[in-house]
Amino acid sequence: MRLVAIVLAAGVLLPLAVPASAQSTLDAVRKRGTLVCGVNGAAPGFSMQDAAKQWQGLDVDLCRAIAAATLGDATKVSFVPLTAERRFAVLEAGEIDVLARNTTVSLQRSAGAHARFAAINYYDGQAFVAPKRLKLTRVSGLADKTVCVTKGTTHEFNMAAWFSLRGFTVYSLAFDTQDAMYAAFFAGRCQAVTQDSTALAAAIVQSGKAEDYMMLPDIISKEPLGPYVRNGDSPWLDVVRWTHYAMLEAEEREITRNNVDGKLEAKDVNVQILLGVRPGNGKILGLDEKWAYNIVKQVGNYGEIFERNVGAGSPLKFGRGVNALWTKGGAMYAPPLR
Amino acid sequence: MHPLARLLVSGIVSAVLLGLGIASAAAQSAAQSPTLDAVKKRGRLVCGVNGALPGMSLHNALGEWEGLDVDLCRAVAAAVLGVSTKVDFVPLPADRRFDALRAGTVDLMARNTTVTLQRDAAQGVQFAAVNYYDGQAIVVPRDSTVSELADLRNGSICLTRGSTHELNLQNWFRVRRLSVRPLAFADESAMYDAFLAGDCVAVTQDATALISTFVRRNKAAGVRMLPDIISREPLGPYVRAGDTGWLDVVRWTHYAMLEAEELGLTQANVDQQRRESHDMLVRNLLGQIPGNGRALGLDETWAYNIVVQVGNYGESFERNLGARSPLGLRRGLNALWRNGGQMYPLPVR
Repeated sequence: MRLVAIVLAAGVLLPLAVPASAQSTLDAVRKRGTLVCGVNGAAPGFSMQDAAKQWQGLDVDLCRAIAAATLGDATKVSFVPLTAERRFAVLEAGEIDVLARNTTVSLQRSAGAHARFAAINYYDGQAFVAPKRLKLTRVSGLADKTVCVTKGTTHEFNMAAWFSLRGFTVYSLAFDTQDAMYAAFFAGRCQAVTQDSTALAAAIVQSGKAEDYMMLPDIISKEPLGPYVRNGDSPWLDVVRWTHYAMLEAEEREITRNNVDGKLEAKDVNVQILLGVRPGNGKILGLDEKWAYNIVKQVGNYGEIFERNVGAGSPLKFGRGVNALWTKGGAMYAPPLR
Repeated sequence: MHPLARLLVSGIVSAVLLGLGIASAAAQSAAQSPTLDAVKKRGRLVCGVNGALPGMSLHNALGEWEGLDVDLCRAVAAAVLGVSTKVDFVPLPADRRFDALRAGTVDLMARNTTVTLQRDAAQGVQFAAVNYYDGQAIVVPRDSTVSELADLRNGSICLTRGSTHELNLQNWFRVRRLSVRPLAFADESAMYDAFLAGDCVAVTQDATALISTFVRRNKAAGVRMLPDIISREPLGPYVRAGDTGWLDVVRWTHYAMLEAEELGLTQANVDQQRRESHDMLVRNLLGQIPGNGRALGLDETWAYNIVVQVGNYGESFERNLGARSPLGLRRGLNALWRNGGQMYPLPVR
């Protein structure tokens, strides 16, 4: 079986994430003692192994935060790299507990009998990168040209929609994996490559040839990215959703990895509730009351994970933009954790 | 490119799109939903509302229901039954609202209810979306020169003593290294009396409570709310847990109204846009490109029915709470994300 092969190749022996009959993913995770997280694996800033074979990224840190919340230990995660095409089938088959794979949230992916998104952990948008020597200034300059794209993604749909609306034609060259897509692009098989702006920027930075390429200024879609869980297990959806919101709340309350122990003494009721000094949230989620404390202590708040993975503390240097807190002009807003 | 080649390529593009559509349709048959089935069979939606809150849900002097929550209920009826008027509104007191929902007395509760962790994760109910970002707000006299909260530095602000409002306000000014002079009262009534008597230059409380008070006191025309919202009170509709198909219907009804606003579709132009638009985002939303309706277990005209019968989110906001209402609220946090607000339509595709 493909997943088992991947897992074995990674040197980790695991049972399947959830027996098909089980309703409660939370119970299964606890019993197993490890969270199984489906990730991209080749997306700098979101999920990738570094040179020291350590997993890094915004999605990786979300997985670690869920492990901290449910198991009290952020390191108890097995990461399973998945292709875009197979990701939902793997989730629905119960082979992973959560899919955190820079996946766009949309109606047809989050309705019906199958998966549900739990939150939005990154607001992105689709862009295009082309070689500077083509001297393109806008996406419309790609009319009648060939663009490399990943098969089965919303990018394929958005690109066709954008060109069709403007009466232009574009040739799509579709690949199963991002690696194959970028390899084809750098080999000159297409005049441009399209993906979410962050993934594009990461790939170009990583190529070491950033000075030869440019991102065209048009952003052609909304791509809100978020973790998905199986339908019908709402307690587990709640755990994933409020794990993300706890990281936002910690940022808004200025609680960091470094100061969280001191904040246990805070007089602010909101801080006391978040950190479990005043109990209630943990019990209702089926977690230890220290769940959010463990997230912040072991992983950090949302701003910290943003900065180290994609922001100023990373090679990517993305600004917060729409991903800033609502108090700072962005769209990151957590409902009250009380 | 040769015209024939162009035709061929556009055919390939269409085939790709068709392929995506088929793939998603195959993967996404609608979920089983007892509530959706029941509403369809009954031919009416039963919506739990506040009933006494101007702007959100009120049975007005003409005996008509009006408000942002009322419009959300109507939009759900338009989506499910094709007719926005097929709604029975049931006013619910705050302390009974969740029980009424759990007991099945209502299909949906749209009662200016704050979304919180302990309510969302509680047994039996879940929120479907946030349809209004409320929070602590500040009101000034309409003829005041103040246009935003920072303009009130060193000013006196009426508030209730020992409330979270006092802490939030002090905190807001402190983190900005500004000062403010709170004028604290033991009860709300005395606070509003003092403000109306001119003892302070502003008064602060949750926005909906402020609105409600000034409308009830018949003073709404003389005051104005500043755009700053300084605490989080996100309000949204709740449904019973375990009926995710129904949660989807309510959630995507709200997002369809937002998407319509973002795409510029209004009650007035939606018929023309439906006939003439080549924008696939428009055609997707209005059902000419099928798939959304099927995924939700609704007719493919579900979102068209919402827009033509109820309007987009901005239209509903303006007539109930905004410039075209007695309340005169600005969009603020409830503006689309592109305009600096929190309303972000998740892709309806």
